[in-house]
Amino acid sequence: MTFNYVGKPVPRLDARPKATGETKYLTDLTFPGLLRARVKRSDYPHALIKGIDVAAARALPGVVAVLTWEDVPGYNGFGIVVPDQPVLCRDRVRYLGDAVALVAAETEEAAEKALELIKVDYEPLPVVEDPREAVKPESVRLHPEGNIHQHNLVTFGDVEKGFAEADLIVENYYVTPRQMHSFLETEGGVATYDPDGGITVYAGSQHPYRDQLQIARSLNLNPRLIRVVSNPTGGGFGGKDEIVVQIHLALLAYHTKRPVKLWLSREESVRVGIKRHPEYLYYRTGVKRDGTLVANEVKIYADTGAYATLGGPVVSLSVGHACGPYRVPNVRVEAFCVFTNNGIAGAFRGFGVNQVTFAMETQMDIIARELGLDPLELRLKNALRRGDLNPLGFKMETSVGAVASLKAAAQSELWQKREEKKKGATLPWKKRGIGLATALQGNGLGAGRPDYGGALLRLLPDGTYEIGISCPDIGQGNSTAYAQMAAEALECALESVRVYTGDTQRTVDSGSTSASRSVYTGGNSILAGAPALKERLKKAAAHLLGVTEDDLEFIPDGLKSKSTGQKVNLAQVAQEMDRLGLSREVKSTFLWPAAEREIEGAPGLPEIIYAYNTQIALVEVDTLTGKTEVLEVVSVPETGRVINPQGVEGQADGGVVMGMGYALMEDIIMEGGYYKNVNFSTYILPTALDAPKHNTIMVEEPEETGPFGAKGVGEVVCVPITPAITNAIYDAVGVRLTKIPAGAEQVHRALRAQGKS
Amino acid sequence: MNLVEVEFTLNGKKQKVTVPPRLTLLEVIREHLGLTGSKRGCGKGECGACTVLLDGQAVLACLTLISQVEGREVTTIEGLAKDGQLDPLQEAFVEEGAIQCGYCTPGMILSAKALLLKNPTPDEEEIKTAIAGNLCRCTGYVKIVKAVEKASRKMAEVAAHD
Repeated sequence: MTFNYVGKPVPRLDARPKATGETKYLTDLTFPGLLRARVKRSDYPHALIKGIDVAAARALPGVVAVLTWEDVPGYNGFGIVVPDQPVLCRDRVRYLGDAVALVAAETEEAAEKALELIKVDYEPLPVVEDPREAVKPESVRLHPEGNIHQHNLVTFGDVEKGFAEADLIVENYYVTPRQMHSFLETEGGVATYDPDGGITVYAGSQHPYRDQLQIARSLNLNPRLIRVVSNPTGGGFGGKDEIVVQIHLALLAYHTKRPVKLWLSREESVRVGIKRHPEYLYYRTGVKRDGTLVANEVKIYADTGAYATLGGPVVSLSVGHACGPYRVPNVRVEAFCVFTNNGIAGAFRGFGVNQVTFAMETQMDIIARELGLDPLELRLKNALRRGDLNPLGFKMETSVGAVASLKAAAQSELWQKREEKKKGATLPWKKRGIGLATALQGNGLGAGRPDYGGALLRLLPDGTYEIGISCPDIGQGNSTAYAQMAAEALECALESVRVYTGDTQRTVDSGSTSASRSVYTGGNSILAGAPALKERLKKAAAHLLGVTEDDLEFIPDGLKSKSTGQKVNLAQVAQEMDRLGLSREVKSTFLWPAAEREIEGAPGLPEIIYAYNTQIALVEVDTLTGKTEVLEVVSVPETGRVINPQGVEGQADGGVVMGMGYALMEDIIMEGGYYKNVNFSTYILPTALDAPKHNTIMVEEPEETGPFGAKGVGEVVCVPITPAITNAIYDAVGVRLTKIPAGAEQVHRALRAQGKS
Repeated sequence: MNLVEVEFTLNGKKQKVTVPPRLTLLEVIREHLGLTGSKRGCGKGECGACTVLLDGQAVLACLTLISQVEGREVTTIEGLAKDGQLDPLQEAFVEEGAIQCGYCTPGMILSAKALLLKNPTPDEEEIKTAIAGNLCRCTGYVKIVKAVEKASRKMAEVAAHD
């Protein structure tokens, strides 16, 4: 199939103003009379609140408002699934980021001083730190229903029978860290108050319509009175899916009737913001001598922190993806999503798949070595094919790219020349190794929950098109993909299309930017609406040219009569549409295909659409220091039809480095509910000097239900790289890492223990 | 309140501010002069998002006190384009897909600019070293390095013609 724009490396349409500094991020905005806000946060990870005294703060010159729970007109709670997190705490705090009071002042200095003057009387409570302890009946309870927020238990086949058939059983215990999104722009924004009672909240986020709902609920206002603008924003990665500053901003604007700005410092963002779930994973995998997987038993404890947010769905995905992209006939997966006072864990790119992929792909690496099998052949042997039952007994009837991805990986130069590349160590005490891993990632929100989309398509009088889809562009470039798909669907020039995202006033609700869903959802919504609009254009053009509608074809700036060759441009057509009373606007809707039934014991599973990825890493380990350098990586994503290859490459490049950070250096360390590292000198992110050479080989297995055959890219690109790196470390120095990050100290200690350093 | 008067050149034009002496260059640029192209990613010199040029050298505006720029030349991202014509670095970043969320971009471009002013033909290692203090969470740095290489080639071509 040849397309005009789909599949072309169209440069990002929002890039130029970002390169000149013109783009206004929502934390760049200012308004006359702007007030500065600060939040008084809990001093303890777990405590009762006996009293809150704001009198002195309110009396401070320059302070305009100090708000507590008493000033929340509506529901004092928020949370995507369960609104269990207080907007402003009344009698209890459960983590260091809990909000107790809000201050709005004329200056930053007055706001900061006011914070110091707020006196909160706390009675500290015992801290719940370990999810494995928190599940016990004698543990202190963080919520009325207990500490187990969600319990999953899924079985398929007979796992004991499977183990009886196994020639080799591999048992291991894995631990994964508390990774932080570390978007460059922290959470923040501005809220304004309209004289007619409306409120506008400008704050970077991944779902403006849901923010609108949560704000309305807490302010007891009709949602129609609340406008939310949620992009452009400097990165999200899942960390801006849940409410952070939006309700606080709206409350302050509502009470002060003035514009208010709240912008978290980096330290505050570390303290307040959600993180990736640390997981403790027990794996027992049974396999036959020829490498056929026969049984997998998994038990997971996930530390979800103080409040629910998306903890349940994250752990459901851990369960659903625990056995990897393979056929496994006998399975038992159990998971506990557990409350603790360790911050809050929630949505983060990969969404529970990163943890189990690290574990399962390490199991596969161990199995390959024990059985003397090629690691890639072992995976190919077990890989799911279309029509297979997945490990939870769900039939995979949509595009399955596991085999295509693995086969292309096998042909890559890095894999073909791996023995040669391993010999190139730069110094005698440095050792090189190659590691491989493969993964799948479910796209969309899963079963049993509303996964909808919508697009506003409008022809303007000047002959250009406006497309409004609410899924914010959080940096990944969905807005450019929308323009490409719209130009393709409307058969017009790319320059004629202007896309709006992330604004409740200019778009229709298309759900969140998350779950790798925004291109699939937005694209399908465009395709759902374009035909109706084109029909009306044809009607008007037919009138203008005095021909029949069948005689017309679309050309880049309008329509042409096939028989006479006469043309009309889009501005003329728009004018004629108005004259004829034909609306120039279409609002479309789209609903994701979903499984008929949720899998028992696994709410929200299964997803229907999956993306695939295989990654190979060449590492060099310094045996004197334990430090690992990642030299070269190949990614082979299979994400259906590629809408923009430059965009997919960019996502894969970034995904590799994010997954590399997870493997080697990133962890928010908490002790007793307190954060031990709160800024970038102690939470280590990969820099340009750490980034490997990277090549992306895109493989396409077009998905029938996807727009132009597309699936989702955003998450799968950061998943298998982690075990590919740790498998490569084993290949290099024989150290098997079951706990990440595999920092220099850990590797060095293991080398010393083995007498290798 | 104790105020200080600072005169400096900003993006080629003379600028005078009268502000509290404890303010950083970043705060003055963003809040008092309305130039929001320079970004705040951490506020303490650990991310590079606030990078500007001070007499052609890359500095962190969040760690530079306003008095330190007295009599000196400051260039922010807004000052790179000349008469509507983008700097080759800006063009290259746009063409090569080196910009995703864009928040690290101004600081990243200015660090690269400082490099090319000193060393017009850097190799890959020199480029990576020059931008090692600019964190990016979106791009994995690959297309950023390609963009800097492309810009240096373009500038070398132009220089060869002159």
